Amino acid sequence: MTGFTSFAVFFQILINGVLLGCMYGVAAIGLSLIFGCMEIIFIAQGAVMILAAYSIYWMFTLTSIDPFFGFLVILPIFFGLGWLMYVGLFQRVQKAGKNSSLLLAFGLMILLEHLMALIWSPNTRSVTTSYSASAFNLGRINVSVTRFVVAIVALAATGFVFLFLKRTMLGKAVRGVSEDRLAASLLAINPVRVSATTFAIGIALAGVAGVATCIIYPFDPYFGFLFSLKALIAVAFGGLGSVGGALLGGVILGVLESLSSYTISAGWADAVTYAAFLLVLILRPEGLLGRRSVERP
Amino acid sequence: MANHLLEVRNVEIFYGDAQAVWGVSFHVDTGKIVALVGANGGGKSTLLNSISSVIRPSKGEIVFSGKSVVRLKPEEVAAMGISHVPEGRRLFSRLTVLENLELGAYPPNIRRYMKESLERAFDFFPLLRDRIHQAAGTLSGGEQQMLAIARALMARPILLMLDEPSLGLAPLFVERLFETIQTLNGSGITVLLVEQNVHQTLEIADYVYVLQTGTLKMEGRPEDLLGNPDFRQAFLGMVRADT
Amino acid sequence: MLRGIASKQKIGYSLGLLLLALFVVYPFLVDAEASYLVYFLYSTFIYVALAQGWNLASGYTGQVSLGQHAFFGIGCYVTAITWRAGLTGYLDPLAMFMSGVGAALVAIAIGLPLLAKLKGDYFALGTLGVAEILRVIAINGGHLTEGVAGISLPSSAYLSMRHYYFIALSIALITLALLWLMTRSSIGLALVAIREDETAAAANGIGTLKYKILAFAVGAFVTGLCGSLNAYYMFHIHTAGAFNLNLVVIPILMAILGGAGTFLGPILGAFILAGVFELANIWMPALHPIFSAAFIVLVALFLPDGIMSHITGHKPGVLRKMFPSMWVLKTDGKESSIGD
Repeated sequence: MTGFTSFAVFFQILINGVLLGCMYGVAAIGLSLIFGCMEIIFIAQGAVMILAAYSIYWMFTLTSIDPFFGFLVILPIFFGLGWLMYVGLFQRVQKAGKNSSLLLAFGLMILLEHLMALIWSPNTRSVTTSYSASAFNLGRINVSVTRFVVAIVALAATGFVFLFLKRTMLGKAVRGVSEDRLAASLLAINPVRVSATTFAIGIALAGVAGVATCIIYPFDPYFGFLFSLKALIAVAFGGLGSVGGALLGGVILGVLESLSSYTISAGWADAVTYAAFLLVLILRPEGLLGRRSVERP
Repeated sequence: MANHLLEVRNVEIFYGDAQAVWGVSFHVDTGKIVALVGANGGGKSTLLNSISSVIRPSKGEIVFSGKSVVRLKPEEVAAMGISHVPEGRRLFSRLTVLENLELGAYPPNIRRYMKESLERAFDFFPLLRDRIHQAAGTLSGGEQQMLAIARALMARPILLMLDEPSLGLAPLFVERLFETIQTLNGSGITVLLVEQNVHQTLEIADYVYVLQTGTLKMEGRPEDLLGNPDFRQAFLGMVRADT
Repeated sequence: MLRGIASKQKIGYSLGLLLLALFVVYPFLVDAEASYLVYFLYSTFIYVALAQGWNLASGYTGQVSLGQHAFFGIGCYVTAITWRAGLTGYLDPLAMFMSGVGAALVAIAIGLPLLAKLKGDYFALGTLGVAEILRVIAINGGHLTEGVAGISLPSSAYLSMRHYYFIALSIALITLALLWLMTRSSIGLALVAIREDETAAAANGIGTLKYKILAFAVGAFVTGLCGSLNAYYMFHIHTAGAFNLNLVVIPILMAILGGAGTFLGPILGAFILAGVFELANIWMPALHPIFSAAFIVLVALFLPDGIMSHITGHKPGVLRKMFPSMWVLKTDGKESSIGD
């Protein structure tokens, strides 16, 4: 075990974790939204993220447009993609039950991964810009520019989603439909359209997380599943159904990873994360900010 | 042949392999309060569900304002002017009172009148005004029923369908409920009411249909039914013979 | 046990026995080392065992397990470690038995907290989490597990393909026998009751936890056996192979395709899906994973209840019960939603 040589070092690791966690948080919010609309864990979330990562990679490599513009570009494209996915595929299996949706999501994940591997080769890619390595100092803490901006974007995205859900009629309809689809339809609310919107937002958020990923990490087509798992753990920490909770869960996950990676080792960091995940599932399944309405045996 | 607002003709409804409704026909005229009464499992809720297209009848026809609704989706039927308050109310318990009401007026053409609709809802149900920002799930049973009806009203419906609104309510609320239904009807809303509480129903209904195990057993105006010995016998204990 | 079998079923059983006889005879008719079909059948038998193992653990209890690869991996490692340590030998029944038992013990250990406390999706995720933890332990196991590189075993011990073939067939048959025993007895009755409505079952005095753990453990035992055989076949065990996610996903797919919660379903599903994958591999090797994934999507879209339900006309609705929403307020059917 490595100890912290000073408080500053501890803070450094902590900040790194928080920044990392914001990224997990964005993907987690998307996952939470999709769960609210389809009642399944959308296991392909990570694969969608990687798809976005590749898009930005190619945009940057071929046109030299800064990846941060990618955030703006990806949002509408992936929103549309999500809409098509729902209307084209997931809407059809809505009636057949959740297992169909799960299977479909799973098949989609594998399909995406292999397609990407086929088209763009399984080699690892990364996006390096002129400022990739640069950082600024907050006191004695070194903060990477890219991670910092990513965190800002994540917070902005969270804010937008929160406001959308709370203040707009469509957002309220999203919340209503996710709670009781039938009741919503009795109010002349088209549940398919609302669900498609919800799903599309979830995919758009996955896209944003993907852009963040490619800026920070090297990635390959099979990275997706690991990310889905991380997003899922973040949701479990924060509580399903809570936007703020998903972000919080992501941050907790990021901090946990960062701390255990430093103090123990990168390999065991994963085990610590999974163990914490299990503990949360067993002791407080509704997460930190979720509601205590769990069915217990 | 009079033009009825709602006509249900020879409807048969199945749940999987089990038949719940056997060739039932009835109608509702504009401006009236029509009630479906009967014991549990009689098929009353099922009929309401088929009208709002939650379930599809396997045989028969349902016509509202001259148009068949059997092939429509629930949201399309609702858009035609039928507001269905289902069994159990099905409020959005996590959303606030205000948000529930707002969603009642979701369609864009109705949303325009949100302000007036809200005022009207609070006029009918003043106690909701104090609870605007409270989560719907935290209201009492009676308040929830009020909210559910208010929400249904936000869409300015032509026909209001209520499924067992008095279920589980305290007696004081039940009285107020039936008074409110009468007032609503007085302001021009046609009401189709499904109830097990026969006594209060007979007091406000214009016409009553009695359903038992999926078939129509009796029908008539309340005063006629009360004079019917079979009716009194079936509902002995629920209605006093000399009423 | 064989009471009252209808004549249609008698035909079915006769066909099955005929098929079995063919399976037994075939490797002696051809050159087993070179025969592609022998290899194909070998791996399909293992898939049958894996699919039925999952079927028992999940399809019959309604609690979906996503951690089967953990048990497979345990089976691999127990066999590899004991052989390397000289405690057991090549194709040693003792090693295989210990692998199965080891997996079953772990299943009981994790089953106790997980099955007692978690429902539906949570349980599934919990099993996934445990499996991942085991993978990490294997990676960081030092000399015991040799980390990512894994343990190498003496391939000089190799005897013949026929040996593997028949052991795989035996494992599949053992699995079927276990499944048969469990489902046709009062245990099976209890399991189905639990699957259909656990609260009602518990209210009727069925020790739900006991049965669920039993099903889970037996499923794990069988999976562990497969892992053991795999160790003997590959002569090299490493974490990527032993804990491969395909080992979760493909058996589940096979069971669902054929019909989870039925007896024949996973067998059918195993043969069909294995056939599809192999054909795809032959015809378009580069595209084969994509083709297989597309196949999965199609199954999800058009055959969610599995093939058996179409054959028998009986829609058990098993799968609709297998993924209950995480929060179900039983009183008014409200489910989870979004927003603060």
